Amino acid sequence: VIRDLDDAAFAERYGCDRFTATVLANRFGYVVEHMCSRLLTAAFSPILRDFYDFAGTIAGPPASDYATPAMSNSIVLFTGTMTDSVRNTIEEYGPERLEPGDVIVANDPYRTGTHVNDMLFVRPVFHDGALLAFVNLKAHQLDMGGAVPGGFSCTKRTVYENGLVLSPRPLYRRGEPVQETWSLIFDNVRFGEILFPDMQSVCAGLQLGERLLIESAQRYGARAMLGTIDYVCDANAERIAAALAELPDGRWEGWDMADCDGVDDSEEYRVQVAITKRGERLEVDLSGTSRQARSCINATALDVKTTVGVALKYLLDPRGAFTSGLYRNVDIVLPEGTVVSAMPPDGAVFAYYEQSQVMISALLRALAGCAGPRAIAGDRGGTDIHNAFGARPDGSPWVSAAQCGGEVGPFGGTREGDGDTQMLSYQANGIGVAVEQIEADVPVVMVRHEPVPDSAGPGRHRGGASMLRDTMWLGPTEHHLMSLRAKRVAGFGVEGGRDGRAGGVWVFDPPADGLDGAPGTGPEAYAAARPLAGVVDPETNVLDPAGRYVYPFDQAGHSTPPGAILRYLNTSAGGWGDPFERDPEMVKRDVRDGYVTIAGAARDYGVVVVGDPDEDPEGLTIDLGATGRLRGQPPRR
Amino acid sequence: MIGVDVGGTFTDVVAVRDGQLTVTKVPSDAAQPAAAVIEGARRIGVEGSAVFNHASTMGLNAVITRRLPKVAFLTTEGHRDILDRGTLRRPLDGQTDPSWRRPFGDAARPLVPRYLRRGIVERTLADGSELRALDEAQARRQLAVLRRCAVEGVAICLLNAYVDATHERRLRELVHEELGADVAVSISSETSPLAKEYARASTTVVDVFMKLIFGRYSAQLDEELRALGFAGDLHFADCAATLLPWREALEKPFRIVFAGPAAGTISSTRLGAALGTGNLLCADVGGTSTDVSLVVDGAPFVNNTFEIEHDVVINALSTEVSSVGAGGGSIVSISPSGDIRVGPESAGADPGPACYGRGGEQPTLTDACLLMGILDPGGFAGGEMALDPELARRAFAALDTPLSFEQRVAFAYRIAVANIAEEVMNVAVRHGVDPRDFSLVAYGAAGPMLLPAALELLHVARVIVPPQPGLFSAMGLLSTDLVHYESRSAYVLLMPDAAADVEERYKEMEQALRARVDANGATIRRSLDGRLLGQSWETPFVEVGDGAITAETMPALVERFHDAYERRYGNRFPYVPVQGVTYRVELVVGADKLEYAEVAAAPDPEPAGTLELRYLDDEPLQASVYDRDALGLGATIRGPAIVREPLSTTVVMPGQTAAVGRFGEIVIEAQP
Repeated sequence: VIRDLDDAAFAERYGCDRFTATVLANRFGYVVEHMCSRLLTAAFSPILRDFYDFAGTIAGPPASDYATPAMSNSIVLFTGTMTDSVRNTIEEYGPERLEPGDVIVANDPYRTGTHVNDMLFVRPVFHDGALLAFVNLKAHQLDMGGAVPGGFSCTKRTVYENGLVLSPRPLYRRGEPVQETWSLIFDNVRFGEILFPDMQSVCAGLQLGERLLIESAQRYGARAMLGTIDYVCDANAERIAAALAELPDGRWEGWDMADCDGVDDSEEYRVQVAITKRGERLEVDLSGTSRQARSCINATALDVKTTVGVALKYLLDPRGAFTSGLYRNVDIVLPEGTVVSAMPPDGAVFAYYEQSQVMISALLRALAGCAGPRAIAGDRGGTDIHNAFGARPDGSPWVSAAQCGGEVGPFGGTREGDGDTQMLSYQANGIGVAVEQIEADVPVVMVRHEPVPDSAGPGRHRGGASMLRDTMWLGPTEHHLMSLRAKRVAGFGVEGGRDGRAGGVWVFDPPADGLDGAPGTGPEAYAAARPLAGVVDPETNVLDPAGRYVYPFDQAGHSTPPGAILRYLNTSAGGWGDPFERDPEMVKRDVRDGYVTIAGAARDYGVVVVGDPDEDPEGLTIDLGATGRLRGQPPRR
Repeated sequence: MIGVDVGGTFTDVVAVRDGQLTVTKVPSDAAQPAAAVIEGARRIGVEGSAVFNHASTMGLNAVITRRLPKVAFLTTEGHRDILDRGTLRRPLDGQTDPSWRRPFGDAARPLVPRYLRRGIVERTLADGSELRALDEAQARRQLAVLRRCAVEGVAICLLNAYVDATHERRLRELVHEELGADVAVSISSETSPLAKEYARASTTVVDVFMKLIFGRYSAQLDEELRALGFAGDLHFADCAATLLPWREALEKPFRIVFAGPAAGTISSTRLGAALGTGNLLCADVGGTSTDVSLVVDGAPFVNNTFEIEHDVVINALSTEVSSVGAGGGSIVSISPSGDIRVGPESAGADPGPACYGRGGEQPTLTDACLLMGILDPGGFAGGEMALDPELARRAFAALDTPLSFEQRVAFAYRIAVANIAEEVMNVAVRHGVDPRDFSLVAYGAAGPMLLPAALELLHVARVIVPPQPGLFSAMGLLSTDLVHYESRSAYVLLMPDAAADVEERYKEMEQALRARVDANGATIRRSLDGRLLGQSWETPFVEVGDGAITAETMPALVERFHDAYERRYGNRFPYVPVQGVTYRVELVVGADKLEYAEVAAAPDPEPAGTLELRYLDDEPLQASVYDRDALGLGATIRGPAIVREPLSTTVVMPGQTAAVGRFGEIVIEAQP
């Protein structure tokens, strides 16, 4: 192991001393951070700037097999794709053709992972005339052509509808723009006035990264740079191996499902996972996973790699950045043509991130078998993104992208504590756009955005609660849903913790007296609503596991008249540990704060809280005797 | 004039009287924060002093530790959870670590627990129109609950109140009617009338905390200073180390939540001005961390927000200070792959480094410097404390690593220097400046023993060790101006037809400032934060320039925006329209400042002795030792050498030359 290497052996293997390796490893992290912040603070696309929908990396040269020692603080959904996408791009283009000042682009999901909007930009870094490394950014472009503006859809059926596919090609050669590539892109995409500056900002970020790497090479030498790339990846592989060795050997299975595809609801899509752990190695086998979907909710093999990596980091290596060394002790078995290994032209890939959420649920369920108390409860299992379009009275168009639906939702409970209620999903990250900014840009009024009492999956550490969001749309509006996880509860409990509750989407007709007539949150309110997604009672429209499944993609978009109110209710997250072991003081605190009702405290936690939480929140007390009696005889479930 | 910098461990006091600088250090007392300040004032004498300038990290510490008064938060019904949500984002550490929780979220340690956050029935829209009237009966019912809970203060932030403040003002009246005239109240439309509800709400909440924390404290301080014979003005420093009369500071006390590190940047700026150099990288090496900041062309780099902890944002102008966990007390440990690591954990003041002999067993950077011979075992902290090299040796010997003892100590020192250098480099890159054009100012008690070694890693032009490096930050409080400011938000496309509207906003703010402040001799500075249409990040501090904004001058303003954008981000998009977001007026009143005393010429310094400097090279180096007080203008020292003064030690590395300048500053450069 690295730790036991003496100075000579370390220098022999890594081309520098330990001190230099430590300094350069830090430097790689900084370089990536600077590349990304240059892009982020200049981005126009709301997806890029608000959802960090990009990644930056440094990769070694072909001789290092594109080893990746540093990855950015953006979203983890890109992580597992980055090494392979740079390798596939450069190997196909031809590393021997590269020259200083080149930028190579590609966006084909089957070559580079994720989806067509995520364009990969690769810039080679030369030092002393030799190829030293690559600096890379993969960033979501607001549009890539295809049948649906912006691309976000579950209903596109083929590669041809999905968007423009770019095989690897130069965007710049020796610092000069390659006009035919730029023209190819701008002849095929919408919103060119946003893509153009965004692509320039990406290239400016790469140029900065190149400059910083060259300065480092001048100071420390190419050998130390290349050695440190290997050193960082080796160290990560060692950490994973050591953590795997501590887990019990065995085989565990997990699964999860997407409700449907964008064609109809005749078929559910299952991700089946079996993990086998022996000593320092792990095999992840996805045999038994459903065939590829008929519309663009598929993912590719590189996305499987991402999610396996994320799950392993959660459990085994939570601190620090991703490197390609993470995967050295892991084998992934993946049949061709499944919903997570789709093939062109029919296995269209857009909502890959929804499959990533299904996969992480399946993996966390399987890993719960060997992780013991380190198990992590399920989150809400999807992103529940909402998009809306319309025109103002003066005819000018407006777009609301991923701002007003179920985007903000809960995390599951863990050994460390309760799950937060207001997060994005496990593999997403981003900025919640301010209500005031949304209302200044789009004709909408945010009516309420609050957690629902008693919704959180009970546990010794409970999950986060469902968030309920009501928005009133002031003009005629067309809504697009992406709800693929409303049929069953995604937020599973672990270690004796209980599951969360399912969610749904409804639309209410414009209330006659405006905001004063807005629907309440009780069950009686839903009779007047039209459900758009969820499993609901056919009479009352209230969520009911025994009710009717409402398929959300009957129409490509749902139109509403001025003043209509859209309601999103997320699935809540699962709890960790037996809720009857939760500290009664924590239960009382949840009652005081409105996360749990007095009835819920008794039913779900066996804690009898006395008082009036609304009028006298500090006057609540715990009836210890009654609590003891309830907890002595937990209800059968 | 007197400056007082209240830190967590020590309260530093500096005074200038008839051009003479006197200094003292008093232990801080968190339970009775005013006591240390008064003790310092007593020791140094306040009679006849014109100003007493006060900086404190007390506000920040109260927020971080959650030792806070009970405060309620009122907002539009349906939105009380904006304080649980923040800006939503997770930091890198939180992305793959399942134990990460939002530190101020309801599942962790909220600033205001959910039951004290109450929704009020009312609604104003983004254009300022009223969609729903304020329901006063409902508001009174909510206030009755807060009365029962005996809250000490109330923060009010209603949606879109930055456009129209009617409901907030009325609600404040109701609060006083229901909870009493003396309850502390802040409303967002006055505290910080800027768009985006979360930052405005958290600013308003912090403002109420600071009203309660500083309110009593300031009155007591003022009274006790008067009792000591002080007849001048008491000023508080803010997050940019500019000053405000204390009563005015208490009107918007969120501004003074964190004053301290910024004073060091101001001090560097002042010294730079005296030396005729305006491009400075400033590094303040303390016990647990190093604070790095930047001065370009004589101006510190200022931000329009300040983050108290992860995502707890306030809309305060603040000097940008970034921190790296490397300081004198940083703990030296071994990573799983066998690397030496320094920090971010720190031994703090108690137990402190192993060599303090107070029970610390882990080696620290201070222990490394002692073993290397840099620190004098008998003469630490002005001779008040003896250091035990044997304890330091044992701590390093106990590390579990195959590295030799020599390597452990040498790597600890070099890693710490490299970590600080990386952070300095990082600050330079982030702002697009070339360190070769910059001088590195090395202060904080531990700065001069670490930063000269960073010279070769950083390629800065030189390292400057100022006089009194341990008290250099506090001296910044005697080097700054009084700055009053107002700001407003409105999303306005900067087109010629909007000129009158924008001009009107500036005029209103200027009138408000002039009504408050005697503007005689003051300078007025207008700036705006804008964005290219479609972006959500603003480019801050675009200079608006003098003279009225008219349809004719608007294109020039837009050009200035594009210039500022290009300087910051390296691209220029002249075809994209520019949107103004925040408009700001600063009224700057010049104050008397510290003048550095010149030192006498003494070109031929005599070493006080020699010592062995270990672990810097394969063999120990013979280094000359100098007493700083004996050095005069023109003294030149060739490294390796050590310069001692009561509270600090300067290391001149082999291959470096140190020259003493006009004000006693030590300027270290690589030998040509």
